[in-house]
Parts: sequence; C-alpha cells; structure tokens
Amino acid sequence: MSALDRSAPPVSGALRDFSFPVVDRKELANGLDLRVARMNRLPMVNVSLFMRASEDALGHDRAGLAVLTADALEGGTKRRSGSDFAESLEKIGARVSASAGWEGTTVGISCLADRLPEAFAIMAEAVREPAFPEAEVRRALDQQLATIRQRKMDPGALATDSARAAYFAPDVPYVRAVDGTVASIEAMSRDTLRGYVEANYRPEQGGLVVVGDVEIDEVAEMVTKHFGDWRGAPVQIADFEVRAATTERRLILVHRPGAVQSEVRLGHVGTFRSTPDYYSLSIANMVLGGMFTSRLNLNLREKHGFTYGVRSRFTFRSSPGPFQISTAVGNDVTAPAVREAMRELAHMADGGPTQEEVAAARDYAAGVFGLQLETSGQVATRVNQLLIYGLADDHYDRYRDEVRAVTAEAATAAAAVHMRPSEAQIVVVGDADAIKQPLEDLGLAKVEVVGRD
Amino acid sequence: MTLLSIDFERHRLENGLKVVLAPDRTVPVVATNLWYGVGSRNEPEGKTGFAHLFEHMMFQGSAHVPKNRHFELIERVGGTLNATTWFDRTNYFEAVPSHELDLCLWLESDRMGWMLPAMNQEKLDNQRDVVMNEKLQRYDNQPYGDWSERLQHLVFPADHPYHHTVIGSMEDIENATLDDVASFFETFYVPNNAVLTVAGDIDPAEALASIERYFGEIPAGGDVPPIPGRTELEHVIGTTVRDTVVSDVPLPRVIMGFRIPPYSADAFATAEIARALLGMGRASRFYRHLVREQQIAKSVATYAYPLMTGASMLLVWGTGYPGSDPADLEQAMTRELEGLIDARQDEIDRAISLTETDLVRALERVSERADLLSMFDLYFDDPGRLNRELDRLRSVTLDDVRGFVGEQLGRNNRAILTYVPENAG
Repeated sequence: MSALDRSAPPVSGALRDFSFPVVDRKELANGLDLRVARMNRLPMVNVSLFMRASEDALGHDRAGLAVLTADALEGGTKRRSGSDFAESLEKIGARVSASAGWEGTTVGISCLADRLPEAFAIMAEAVREPAFPEAEVRRALDQQLATIRQRKMDPGALATDSARAAYFAPDVPYVRAVDGTVASIEAMSRDTLRGYVEANYRPEQGGLVVVGDVEIDEVAEMVTKHFGDWRGAPVQIADFEVRAATTERRLILVHRPGAVQSEVRLGHVGTFRSTPDYYSLSIANMVLGGMFTSRLNLNLREKHGFTYGVRSRFTFRSSPGPFQISTAVGNDVTAPAVREAMRELAHMADGGPTQEEVAAARDYAAGVFGLQLETSGQVATRVNQLLIYGLADDHYDRYRDEVRAVTAEAATAAAAVHMRPSEAQIVVVGDADAIKQPLEDLGLAKVEVVGRD
Repeated sequence: MTLLSIDFERHRLENGLKVVLAPDRTVPVVATNLWYGVGSRNEPEGKTGFAHLFEHMMFQGSAHVPKNRHFELIERVGGTLNATTWFDRTNYFEAVPSHELDLCLWLESDRMGWMLPAMNQEKLDNQRDVVMNEKLQRYDNQPYGDWSERLQHLVFPADHPYHHTVIGSMEDIENATLDDVASFFETFYVPNNAVLTVAGDIDPAEALASIERYFGEIPAGGDVPPIPGRTELEHVIGTTVRDTVVSDVPLPRVIMGFRIPPYSADAFATAEIARALLGMGRASRFYRHLVREQQIAKSVATYAYPLMTGASMLLVWGTGYPGSDPADLEQAMTRELEGLIDARQDEIDRAISLTETDLVRALERVSERADLLSMFDLYFDDPGRLNRELDRLRSVTLDDVRGFVGEQLGRNNRAILTYVPENAG
C-alpha cells in the first residue's frame, strides 16, 4: 500500500444534489389547506393537523388553556373512553400526539402506512368529538399544576422562566410560561375546555400536512370523509404589541441557597419570523452561539473550561420572541463566565462576524438543511412551518440559495440591529452567598437579589 | 410479516477492524459510526469516569488535526457529530452529505491511529473542567440528579463493574494524568476492539477501498484486558434493598430497580416485553391504572437496560403528586408488577406493534441504522440481528412473562429508591 498523505483533509467527492420533496396542495371546500408530500423509502407516514388555537391569543387569566385542552384530548371521545382511545391506536402501532404552543395547536399521527386509515379516523374523532370526562380533565389539570411546581425547583427551567419575565412587559403573553400559571389553571374546568374547542378548533387558518408513503388521492378521500363537513367561524387572531420590560440593563440574581452551579440566561426581546433579515441574522447568531465552533462555545468551553456548553438563540415567532444566551457554570466561575458572554455579545453587536466566520456558518446551515430531510417527521415539521408562519410555497426550494447569499456586511448589520448588549437582562439562578459579590464587581449592573418564589 | 430488511455487508481488515456497510442511495446522506469495546465497566478502582473523560479527549485533536478542527471541518460541510460513553462501550458518529464520506474516515482514522502526539496537559486540564461542569449540570445541580448512582449501588455489588456510574467520581477525574490517557488509548483504542459502520449513500466497493486506505495502516493492538472486578453475577439481588432520600425535589418519586439476565441472554426479550406491558404507551398498565384511573402517579416510565456484563437492570419509575405519600405510590406500583402474572396475549401484541412502528421510524435515519448495526456487531458479532428484532420479541410467550414475574420481580430482587420532598411537611 502506498503511504497516504494525512496532512490535509481529503478532497470532497462529487456533490449529489437533492431537492425538497414535492408538496402537493389542495384546498378543501371548508377552507382546510391540505399539503401532501410523498416519501416512500420506508412504509411510514406522518400526519399533523395544525389549528390556530394559540396561547398567544389568550389573556393572562386564561393562560395555559390551549395547552391544557390539547393535553386533555387523550381523555377520550364521545365514542371511546381514554383507555379505549389509547388501546385502539396502540394496538395498530400508531402514536397520536396533541400539543399546543404560542402559535397554535397540533394534533399528529405517526404510524405505518397501511394503518393510516384507521389511525386517521381515530385522530379525527379526538379533534371533532372530544368528551373531556370530568375525571380526565381533573387529572390533566393536576398534572399541569404539578409541572408548574416542578419547574420552579428545576434550576434551568427557573432561570428560563425568570429571564422571560425580565425581557417582556407584563401585559405581553410571552412574559409567562406557555403552559400557564397556578391561578389561571386552577380556574379551569371541563366546560372551559369544551368552550375552547367549540370556539377555536377550526379547519380554516391552519392546515393538514401528510408526509410519507401515501398518495394524495388516498389522503384526500380520508380527509373528505372525516373532515369534509367540519365547519366553524374563523377564530380571533392574536392582537398584541410586543414590548420590552425595560431598555435598561439589569442583573437579577435568583437566590438558590446551596446551589453548586449557576444557571445563566442573558438576553432581551428578539425579532419575529418574517423579519426581512432572517437569514443574515440567523448566520450572525450561529457565529455567536449557534454551533459547536461558535465564539461563545470556543471561549467559555474550549478555552476557559467554564461550562459543558453554551448557546445563543433567537426564538422566532409570529411576533418577536426572545433572543437569549444560555449556559450553566460553576459557582467560582459564574462572574467570569458572565463577563465573557457579555464581551462576546458586545463584540458581535459592534463588529459583526468576519468573512471567514460567515462562510463557515453559511456552509453549515446550507449543508445541515439537506441532512435533516431524511425522515417523514422532519419533512412534515418543515412543511408545518410554512403553514404556521405563512411562508411561500417555494420557501424550502430557495432556502439554500438564500443562506448562501448572506454576506458578512449583511450579517454585521443584522447583529447591530438585533443584538443589544446595553439592553441585556442578565439572569442568574444560583447561590447568592457565593456569587453575588463577584457579579457586583463586574460593574455591569446593580445586582438585584430575589427569592425563588 | 416483517417489514424490516436492512441490507448490509461485513468485512474485516487485517488489523482486526470490523466493518459493516449498509448502502441506501435514496437520500444523499452518509453516516459513519464507530463503536469501541470500552466503557465505564473497564475502569479499575481509582479511575472511575475515565472512559468518558477520554471520549472528550478524542475531540482535542490528533497528529494531523489541530484542536477544534474536527468540529470545524464537519460543521463546514453541514455535518453533525457527537460521541457517547456508556457502561459497555463508547461510540463516535458523524452524518454528512455523502460526497464527504472520506472526510469522516480521515478524521476517525487519524484519532484511532495518531491521537497521542497531539495530547498535552493544557487540553487535559481544559476537558477535566468541562467534564466537571457536565457533572454539576447534569447530576449535582438537578433535582433527583443522583438517582442513577444510588440505584446502581443498590442493584450491583461494590465489586461489580456496574456499581459505579459512567460520569465517575470527580476525585478520580482530578487525578487523571496524561500517562493515563496514553495507556488507555494504547489498550482500548485499537482497531481490533472496534466496529466501523458506514450507512447511507455509498457504493460499497468504493467505501471499502476508502476504509482500507484510511484505517488499513493502523497496527493491530493487543488483546483487551479482562474487565476488572466480578463479572459473573446472580440474576437476583437476593433481598429487598432500600434507599430513601429526603431532599430539595419538587415531587415524590419512587424508582424501583430489578437485577435481570444480561442483554446477551435469551431471557432478556422477556424483560423487554414485561417492561413494555408495564410502561410502553398509554394503554400500558402503569399509565392506565396509576396515571389515568387511580391518579396516584403524575407520570410513569419503565426501561430494560441493554447491559452485557453478568447481569442487567430493569427500572420502573413513578412520580407522585404534591403532598402525596410515596409509600402509597410504591404499593400501587408493586400491585401492578405482581399483577403482570395475568398478562394477556393482546397486551404482548400491542407492545410488538408499537415497537415495530418505533423501529421503522428510527430506521428512517441512516445514522440510527449505523448505530444499531455497530451495536449488534460489537455485542453479538451479528449485525443481522437488526432484521430479527421483532421475531425475537414475538417469541416471548405468556408463560415466559409469568415466569419472569416470579423469578425477577419478587421481594428477593427489589431495589427501591424513594425521593421525598423535604418541605412536604
């Protein structure tokens, strides 16, 4: 064997291009927007029904209602008890899930293709004829209350919740946790849930996405059979203005006596999904903290060994969601880690990424996109995004070109607008006795110590 | 009916490296996956946590690859990568657009053959800090974070390799030296102790030629030394053992552990079926009875760990509601365990249907295929076992399940770990 030259990476082979699966579209008479993509590598199918029954349209007094309603759908239908509902699906190997969030409610099926007609019928039953038996509603409610309690004692979740409250003005829905508060949940009953479904589960303003080993005609037939006579007036779309709680920098220390580590969140109000500089901003964020070789990770983890990991992220929603850096660090390095994170944020906001960094992030984003279109579930998730955010049908066909077109200048401009270190809300959950003074000494802001309740 | 038939071929290089190739040209993605036959079970006393620390060091560069370059190069082509350490093995994996296969082979072969020249104290100090932060984040600063350590202590005796955790003791991590790194590498990271699987968009002959080119010149190592401690173990604990923890947790939780035959035993399939009847899906007994009907548990979970060395472990979890008494929860869980004696065939059928869908869903990803093929080759010298997984479960009978309840779930084989919220009053 001739000796191999190992000194440089191998030359790439010939690129095999690929396209996003073809998505067929059909609008039903009742306004249901049906989108079907055929993938037949394996006999799987993935369905998701998206309805504009969203948490962001609910006032604080009804916070968590969309989430609770979705969770309680598994409590049974007018024809089946909760246990029978689970049994009829699981005996055919189907998994049905229901969940709700800021943008809406999604009911999904994942099953083998030959089981779809049965699973689809049962899923339709859950959406159109939920029974909400008293005991099942009580249980969903108790579970949600217990989850809220659990989150208060989980340092990571507590940090995220406290940070959100620091970013958003008190009347903005995003200020609260998506699954509500003890007060709002305790006030709900089966009638509240029934009323919510009646007023908000609708064929219009949402859509049905089916991806996998199926034909569109087959799907259209099922949809007509089970959803053809589904009607309802359009729902009230959320109407609110996102405002920050403050534009002053703050440093809030949530005291957790005896904590051996600090959970750090650092951020402010970000921007919305349809921002025109979406791609440039995404690239700037990847360089800051959106990949392993990001500035934050190379600094805090690989250079200083402060943390197991650190990341930054813009949560893009229909309205501006949070922009946030998050990490967990030891007590003795909490202050230096906050200092370095702030330094990287300021550096990115002031100077933007370099040409080389932008090129690396672009290549990563364009490449990894193709890697994540392997499964019916991944493709269904993508098609759903089109529905949720009202993106163009050819969005994914253009995606890689858009990413590759991002320049260092554009990414720098996006960072300057959307990353604002002077407005950063720094939230640390940790042992105040160990970390307060060093944080104070950073001189970033006066340290405000609060209890965890 | 069997839907599963993943095509593959096997090869072995002269240096002992086992190779599995699983072509599927439908999407332009390729996954590489290397399983090394070393995990926390191979750590002697005083060196716990080293296998995992070593996994971190494998990303610190090798003779031709500077620190961080591995991540940069893979991310640059839009790839993903990671590694994990467990009791019996350590795995390293990448997924990339298929025209970049050689990049993965170059990176993996460089660290298999030429890691040591790149090691230095600074890198070791840095990754020791990272690992200590990982322990703080995932274990010490988490409610219930010490559960695995406590349960392993109850289920496995002090001289058994599963007595200590994969993350190990921080004192041992502090004491790790560069000499330890070198000797661990030379002992375990040898081609004859590894399986390389490449799955996805490949031409098998071309892929094999590339593998030969990159890995062929790495010399074979010696035989891997025996696992320290006692590796033969009775398949029951012998009694009921308990550990009750009053701590800063939000909700009461009961975790029960049972020693069971190892993954390599035929009887392990019965354990998988038993755990599925108890806790897989919402028609399972735990969910139906404890969560839905009695509302004594907020959530439940069950696992059969696929462990290879002497014995393995079945786990059942129940988390209670605020203010509830964990003793009631434990009693209700115990009733379900004992009630499995009247298991029905339709319950087994349901479990197999769910498992089938889950398996097909997993196999949509070439990286999952690669991982499973590597595992079956390393553990059983039989990657084809992947295509027989459902048959193995279908062979379990009701008598097997009844026998399992008597032999493995009784009072002579229970480890019960209870968390009580300290402010419960």
